[in-house]
Order: sequence, then structure tokens, then C-alpha cells
Amino acid sequence: MGHSDGDHDDLSADDSPWSEDIWSDDNEGSLSFEDSGEGSDAESDETDAPAAEESDSSEDEVAPRNTVGDVPLVWYKDEEHIGYDISGRKIKKRDREGRIEAYLRNADDAKNWRKIYDEYNDEEVQITKEEAKIISRMLKGKTPHTNVDPYPDYVDWFEYDDKGHPLSSAPEPKRRFVPSKWEQKKVVKLVRAIRKGWIKFDKPKEEPNFYLLWGDETDTADNKRQGLSYIPAPKPNLPGHEESYNPSVEYIPTQEEIDSYQLMYEEDRPKFIPRRFDCLRSVPAYEKALREGFDRCLDLYLCPRTRKKRINIDPESLKPKLPSKKDLRPYPRTCYLEFKGHNGPVKSLSVEASGQWIASGSSDGTIRVWEVETGRCIKVWKVGGVVHRVAWNPQPDRHILAAIVDHDLLLLNAEIGDEEVQMRTKKLLHIEELAPEEEETGDKKPAVKWVNHDKFDGIVLIHHKAVSTVEWHFKGDYFTTVVPSGDSRAVLLHQLSKKHSHHPFRKLPGLPIAAVFHPSQKMFFVATKKFVQVYDLQKAQIVKKLESGVREISSISIHPGGDNVIVGSKMVNCVGLILIYPHVHTRH
Amino acid sequence: MKDIAFLFHDPLIEKFREIKVHRKKVKKAVAKKNKDLADRLLNRPPTYKLDRLILERYPSFVDALRDLDDCLTMVHLFAALPAVEGERVQVQRIHNCRRLSHEWQAYISRTHSLRKTFISVKGIYYQAEVQGQKITWLTPHALQQVLTDDVDFNVMLTFLEFYETLLGFMNFKLYHSINVNYPPVLDPRLEALASELYALCRYMSSGIVPGNSESAKLVEDKDESELRLAQLQHQLPSNEPGALMHLVQESTAADVEDDDAKECSSLFKNLKFYLSREVPRESLLFIIPAFGGTVSWEGEGAPFDETDEDITHQIVDRPTQSHVFLSREYVQPQWIYDCVNARIILPAEGYVVGRVPPPHLSPFVDNSAEGYIPEYAETIKKLQAAARNQVLPLPSIGDEDMEKTLVEAIIDRSASNEVAEKKRKLEMLEQQYHDELKMEYEGKTYSHMKSDNQSDVVDNDSEAANNHVDDSYKQAEKDAADISKTVMSRKQRGLLEAIEIHHSRKKDKVNLLKKRKKNAESSASAKGR
Repeated sequence: MGHSDGDHDDLSADDSPWSEDIWSDDNEGSLSFEDSGEGSDAESDETDAPAAEESDSSEDEVAPRNTVGDVPLVWYKDEEHIGYDISGRKIKKRDREGRIEAYLRNADDAKNWRKIYDEYNDEEVQITKEEAKIISRMLKGKTPHTNVDPYPDYVDWFEYDDKGHPLSSAPEPKRRFVPSKWEQKKVVKLVRAIRKGWIKFDKPKEEPNFYLLWGDETDTADNKRQGLSYIPAPKPNLPGHEESYNPSVEYIPTQEEIDSYQLMYEEDRPKFIPRRFDCLRSVPAYEKALREGFDRCLDLYLCPRTRKKRINIDPESLKPKLPSKKDLRPYPRTCYLEFKGHNGPVKSLSVEASGQWIASGSSDGTIRVWEVETGRCIKVWKVGGVVHRVAWNPQPDRHILAAIVDHDLLLLNAEIGDEEVQMRTKKLLHIEELAPEEEETGDKKPAVKWVNHDKFDGIVLIHHKAVSTVEWHFKGDYFTTVVPSGDSRAVLLHQLSKKHSHHPFRKLPGLPIAAVFHPSQKMFFVATKKFVQVYDLQKAQIVKKLESGVREISSISIHPGGDNVIVGSKMVNCVGLILIYPHVHTRH
Repeated sequence: MKDIAFLFHDPLIEKFREIKVHRKKVKKAVAKKNKDLADRLLNRPPTYKLDRLILERYPSFVDALRDLDDCLTMVHLFAALPAVEGERVQVQRIHNCRRLSHEWQAYISRTHSLRKTFISVKGIYYQAEVQGQKITWLTPHALQQVLTDDVDFNVMLTFLEFYETLLGFMNFKLYHSINVNYPPVLDPRLEALASELYALCRYMSSGIVPGNSESAKLVEDKDESELRLAQLQHQLPSNEPGALMHLVQESTAADVEDDDAKECSSLFKNLKFYLSREVPRESLLFIIPAFGGTVSWEGEGAPFDETDEDITHQIVDRPTQSHVFLSREYVQPQWIYDCVNARIILPAEGYVVGRVPPPHLSPFVDNSAEGYIPEYAETIKKLQAAARNQVLPLPSIGDEDMEKTLVEAIIDRSASNEVAEKKRKLEMLEQQYHDELKMEYEGKTYSHMKSDNQSDVVDNDSEAANNHVDDSYKQAEKDAADISKTVMSRKQRGLLEAIEIHHSRKKDKVNLLKKRKKNAESSASAKGR
């Protein structure tokens, strides 16, 4: 309420000037318009500064009563006057009427809402009806006066029609008459582009999508494949009975079988498990259809193709034709002689150097010497253990038989030949009893102990572990035994004349299987499971290592000529293998 | 190296470069706000064609036919995909595939070159013989396929692009060979009804000559009566103006067609089929005309409706039937497929509605080579033999017939073998019984005797007996084989072993089948009791 009061108050101050010439001057009108706004603001602040300014700015107005000018009215707050009039006399403040009085007066007066207090001049002014209307229009954002047309028609300054001369008398420039150079350049560019076919306007001609691609099949020259050689892809497998939507019962695996597929390897597992549907209506869409199509695509473009000849062979034709036994004749077919006497299986056989005698060892615990010509058993030793191996001394004047009985070596006097030879053999096979102190030299059990046999005329070489082979040197003085589980003492060399044995080969590449002497040179061969090692006996060092290539060597032998080594293996089909020494060359 | 150099100079690569450049140009024009240029460029995008590639890969038509299997399978697979906007496959491609596949089927059906069909779990296999090439393809079941994420659609779509072009050219050539305009103009109404195949068939039978006003009229006509007329024209060539063309074509075709085709084209002759709503319509609409039958279906645009009195067979796949016509037989769809494979009209009793039909067997399996003949195959063989004896006065027995008779002979022999085996087994049983009696006389305890006889149980006792006799022989033979094996070279031995493994696997498989069969029979009999 107070606010609106103030507004009216303010405007009442420049009541008269507004009404007179606000419409005569646009500038003035706008200014007063501004002022009125500010005045209302100031009114709410209860300060006089804008009001003073207002009075100053409007010079055409009738001068206000007060002439203090634009000074803060606070200065006169405590004075009795509010300022001075034109003649310089003080203008006295009016008496302040009480609030209640003013209220009562206002309540009585119907025109009170139009009354505004002018602080500057210290008087109350009353706004006329027109002024109030203007204020209300301005508050609504309209032009203050109703008669103002905000959008008048434009009226030109000059009238060109029928005047006959231009406004400017300057001559027309040349460029107005000459065609544009740049435009021409652009056009030329476009024309050239069109001519040369860079720009085409007509729609591309619709060519028929399909035509007779393979014309005449008759001209074969055209049919020649020009590019890369093309190998047609193999066709996908055709479906079998089990892929049917309704296969017969036998094609459907039982639940257990389906479960057992889970235990299989991924790639062994059947890709497709047959199922049975009662009617065609209930067959669902195959969920792997896309996947399979995709896999086929991958196969087609990622798998290299080769032409492969599919052979359909009868497996029988693969087997080589074996010569029938008839074609192989003549071969010994009739038995000429039989040496009868052994009770158990004969494990080993050895022919004496002169070829007159044969020694045989059997698992029934006997060693027998036979005469070859007659088949007569000359001598029998009951050694009381399984005889694994027998070997004659290769020297013709030494009839000594080496035999492996159980796991020791036995040297026996064969007691054949004339007296002199027998005597020498006997002497050779005799050891003086060793002093007992020698036994305790090694804290370990000695590898070999030479002991006179208590029953027969011979020597026992007690080994620390089981002996597997025995082999003589060609001169008949040395011999070797192999103890496969003997570790560093596996291959032993023995000298018969000195009754001495030692083990020169400490390190071996694997388990030793057999050892042999070279028939003429000072060489020594040790066969382990995979290799054959050749030692020089004099230098006591390895000369060569032969690799056999077989899985497991079981025996070794050297040709009497000394050039070839033959190795036997345990593989079924690979019976023999020949290593030619010194030029190593293997042949299966 | 050589192939890379070759591919490097392929004209297609040049085209691809052009496309790339074009794309760049458009991008540049758009970026420069040169709308005019961009529009102009976009209006004329460079395109490429695959015809050269096809000709390069398949210089002769027969080459292309030979490799058509994958193409057809792929196109049919895509034709079955959902044609939905926003999926990874464009709708237009799918429609194109569908059209191409229908065109192909229409050709096959028209020339009666379909030979074998097989409903598998994966879909329906068809085998046709075109120019002496056996072409097998797989169509998925007519159900919505789900687009899975485990496949790379770029690869598949690239393949599909090539296949689409290839099949288009193939169709052109094939249509050309039977004197039909290639991009066929179809009756839009039938097309809208999704019985495109039927529309195509009709087009082929009527619109052989493009200038034929009659055919043009027919194609345009949309009257129901006219439709029926067209169907009639297909049947009775003598009544229609365009019949002359028909006759000419039929006669020329007859010369070319061999006995096989003749047999195929006359299998369903004089039979009229009606398809119910629930049967796979597209497949049957393809097969039945291919074997000379007349067919209609439930729905709009059908040539004749259910009430037609001439219908001989109605294909139904639901358990019960609301209205039954006595003049026709109601069979399950499998009947059609089995008839086609057997090339005879099988008795429909087994396929009657509501019954579980007999097992559906694959026509692609050579039973004798496989070593196991399912029971139903044998019945079919017998029926075939019976049919041949009835029908054929034997004017011409083709090679195939010879083969068939041979197969039958084999079957007979195996049957007789089986009989002999059974007999022997019986004898063995008897023998055992006598032995037991004897033993009882001798006073042996039963248990003891049983333990004695435990080894030769009835099932394998015949074998066991044989074994005892032949043991030494077998051993000797085996030894000889082993010896020869040791002499073979390593390569050959490997080969032999592989063959042996193969044989043993095959045998195992057959044994497994036999075992299962026996189990099933025993359980069935147990149930029967």
C-alpha cells in the first residue's frame, strides 16, 4: 500500500510539466519515463536524491518551490526549513501531523490514493485521473499514451518516381556492363568437367543383373581355367540314419551311453546325439544351424586344400607275398644228430676252438661236454645251479670252460686232450690260498674273489652281484664278465694267468648289457642299452661311441674278421643290425 | 607367392580401391559443407560385380553345378532367417535369398530332377540330379532361426554375396535351358501370400513364351476361377491354347529325360494332395509337384479347397481330425518323403494320423556297405520288389535296377545265413540239454556242471565250438599274417593298421546297433507281457 502511495507521490511532483510537453519532445518523454521508474525506487528507499535529480533535469518545467538543488535532504533533517525559495527566503517545514490524524484524514478522503507526498518541496500533491491512467498503462508495459501508433508506415525521405534523374550523378561503373570474369571461370570449369565426363547427370544405365554367363559350352578354349588352379572343396558329409528326426530305435543311445560321452575326450565325443520325435510337427529348429554354416565357411576359406588320392586297397594286398617253404629248399630238414642227456632246457652252448667238442649248460644244473661227431657225452658236471652261459677258451691248447652258474663264474678244466695240455691247464687253474688279511683291505666287499672250487678241478670267481655274460679274449688269457647291476664295477677284466681282476670302466652311459674283445686288435666293446662304446685297451680310454638306433640292445658280437659289429635288439621285427667299424654305417 | 601376386592384380581390388576413394570424397565434401558435390557423389557410388570371379572360378557350367551344394545350403539357411529390420542381416538380402531359393526349387520341381529327400533333425535334405551332377542341399525347418553371437556375420555375408550371385547366374542359365524368361514376373497376390514357389511354378508352366498373350493374361488375372483354370492347364494340356507349346516341350523333354527322371515324374501322377495347415507347406509344395502330383493347401490362393472330391491324400500332422472324408487317405508328411525315397507308393497304413510313423531312414546311406540294414529298409526293399514284379513287364532294367536286385540278393543271402545260424543254435541248445541229462545220470551235481558249462553260454556257444575246432588253424593263420606284417615296410604297416582299425570300428558300431536293437526288442516284449 505504501509503495503505491510513494509512486503517486513522486509523480505528482512533476505533475504540471508532464502534462504540458511530454508529447512534444520524444527525448523529454523518454527521460521522464525513466525518471518515474527511478523515482519510484527511490521512494521505496525514502531518500530524496532521485527526486532532486528529477527536478534538476527538467529545466523546462516550472521551477520548484525549493531551490536547494541536488543535495541530500538529510542535511536539512534537523533544520526548521527545507530550503530556500527563489527570492532566498527560508521555506519552513510544515507541522508534522500525527500518524493517527493522517490516517483518519486519509480514510475520510476518497481521493487519498491519488495523493503523494513530495519530500523535496514538503507538500502533498494529487495525481490527476489522466496521470493515473498513464501510470497504469506503463505498468502494463504499453506506451504511456493511447494515441501512439508503435508501428507507423514507413515514409521515404525521397520520392523517386517520375523524377527523371538519379540521386547520385556519378557515372555507372564499367563492371556493371561487363560479364563477370569469375563467374565465367566457374562455368568453364563446370563445362569442362561435364565434357570430360567428370560430372555425369544421367543416371547410370541399369544393366541386367544376370545374363548367360556360361555361353556356349562348346568352345573349349574359352573354358580353360586361367587363374589359379582350383581344387573343389570336398562336399559335406551326407546324413546317416541316425540324423533322422525319427530314427529307428537302435540308433538312439541310452542314457548311460550319453552320460559316458562326458567321460570321453572332447574330440572323440560324438558331435551329434540322435533323438526321436513322434511327429514332424514337434521337431524344433536346429539351434546349431548357423554355427554349422559358419564352420563350413571357415573350412572353405581357411583350410588349405590338396588333392589327395583316395585309395581303396584290399588290406590283404598290402601284405607282401611270403615265399612258400617249398621254394626255399634245399634247407636242412632232417635231424642228423641229437645230443640227449639234459633234463631241463639248455640255456647256452659253446663250440670248442678245434671244433671237436661242444659244451652245453642247462637249467637242470649240469654242464655237459659232447663230442660233435658221435654225440657222446664226455663229461658231466653237476654244478647244482642254473647254468646261464658257457664259453670255451679260444686257445686250442687250453681246454678251459667258463660257465656262469647262478650268479658266479666257474672256470672248469675240461680234461680233454693229451696229458701235457691237461697238466698245463691244471696248473693254470690252481691258486695258492690267499692270506686272510687281504680280505679285510677294502671296507667294501671286493668285486671279485678268486677261490678254488671245492668239488671240481677249477676256480670260482665270486662276484659281488649276478653276472650276466662272460667273454674270452682271443689269446685266452684275459676274459671279461659283465655285472649289469654293478654300477661302477659293472664291467670286469680278469687275467687268468695272474688270477687277477680289475674294473677299468668307471663310467658308462647306461646299463651295460654285454662286453666283447676285438678278435685281433687291442680293442674292447661295451654295449649299453642304446650305445656301443669302443675302448682302446692299452690307453684305457674311449675311442668311439656307436649309436645303434634300436630301442634296446640285447646282445653284441664281432665278426672274426674284425670289421663288423653286430648288435641284436629286443624289438620283434628288428632282428639284427650291423655296424661296420671303423666306418660307421648302420643297416637294419 | 604366385597366388598372392595373382590376387594382387585382380580387377576387383581396383574396384575396392575406387570405393574407398569415393567414400573419402564424400566425407570430404560433407566436411566442407559442399552439399551439392556430396549429393552428386552419393548418387553415383561405384559398384562392383562378381560375374568375372564366378567365371574365373567355374569356367564351365558343370563345374559350378558340382560346387553348388554349399551355395544352396547357405542361401536356404539365410532364407530361413528372420527378416526383421535392425538385425545383423539386411532384410533385402533375406528376401533375395528367399526368392533365389524359390526359383531354384521351381526349376527342380519343373524338370522333375529331385531324387532323394530326408528329414533330419537339422532340416530337410534334398538331392537333385542336374546334368548328371548330384546336388545335395539342406533347408532348415521352417521355423524362426535365432541369430546367435558365436558366428561372424561378416564372413558369412561375404560368402552369401558370392553365393547369391552364383545362384542367380545358375538360375538364369537353367531357366534359359528350359526356355523360360529368367527374372520371372510373378503374380503379386500369390507372392504376397508367401506361396511364391507355387506362383513360380505356375509362371513356368504358363509363361514359357514371353509374348504369349494368354500367359500374360493368366499372370495378370487374379480370379479364383482363373487360378483353377491355370492349375487345370497344368494338368490337361490339350484343352488350352498354349497347349501346343506344352506338348512340344514335353516331347522334347521326354527325349532328354532318362528312365530315372521318368520314374520320378510319374510317381505321384494322378494323385491329388491337400495339405493341412500344420505341415511344412513349402517343402511339400516343392516335392509333390516335382514327382508329378497335384497339390493344394489350406489358406488363401490355393488352387482347390478341402472339399474337392478328387483329393486322394490329405497330409495331416495333428492327432485328431475334425471332419473326415472317406474318399481320401489321411497320412503324415513323412509318408511323402518315404515314398519319394523308395520310389513307390508305400502303403499308407503305417502313416495314419495319430500313429507313430515307422522310422524315417536316410536315403544317402549304402546299407550293405555300412554292414547293418535297419529293419524298415528291408521291408521297403520287399515292397519295392513286389511293386516291380507287379508293374514292370521289364522293358528296361537300368543299371540301378540291377544294383537293386543285387542288393536284394545279398539281403536274401544274409537272411538265409541268419536262419542257418538260428538252426544251429537250436541244435546246440538241444545238444546241451542232452549233455545235461547225461550228466545228471552220471550223478554230477548241478552246480559243478554249471561251472563246467559256464564258459559256453548259449549265445556264443556256436562260436566257441567253432573255436575249439579251428583254433590251431587260426593260430597258424595268425602267425603267418604276423610274419608277413614284420616284413612289410613301415609305411605299409601303418596303412594296414589304419585299415584294420577302421574295420574294427565299423564292426563295433554295427555290433552296438545290434545290441541296442536287441535290448529294445526285449524291453518291448517285456512290456508286451
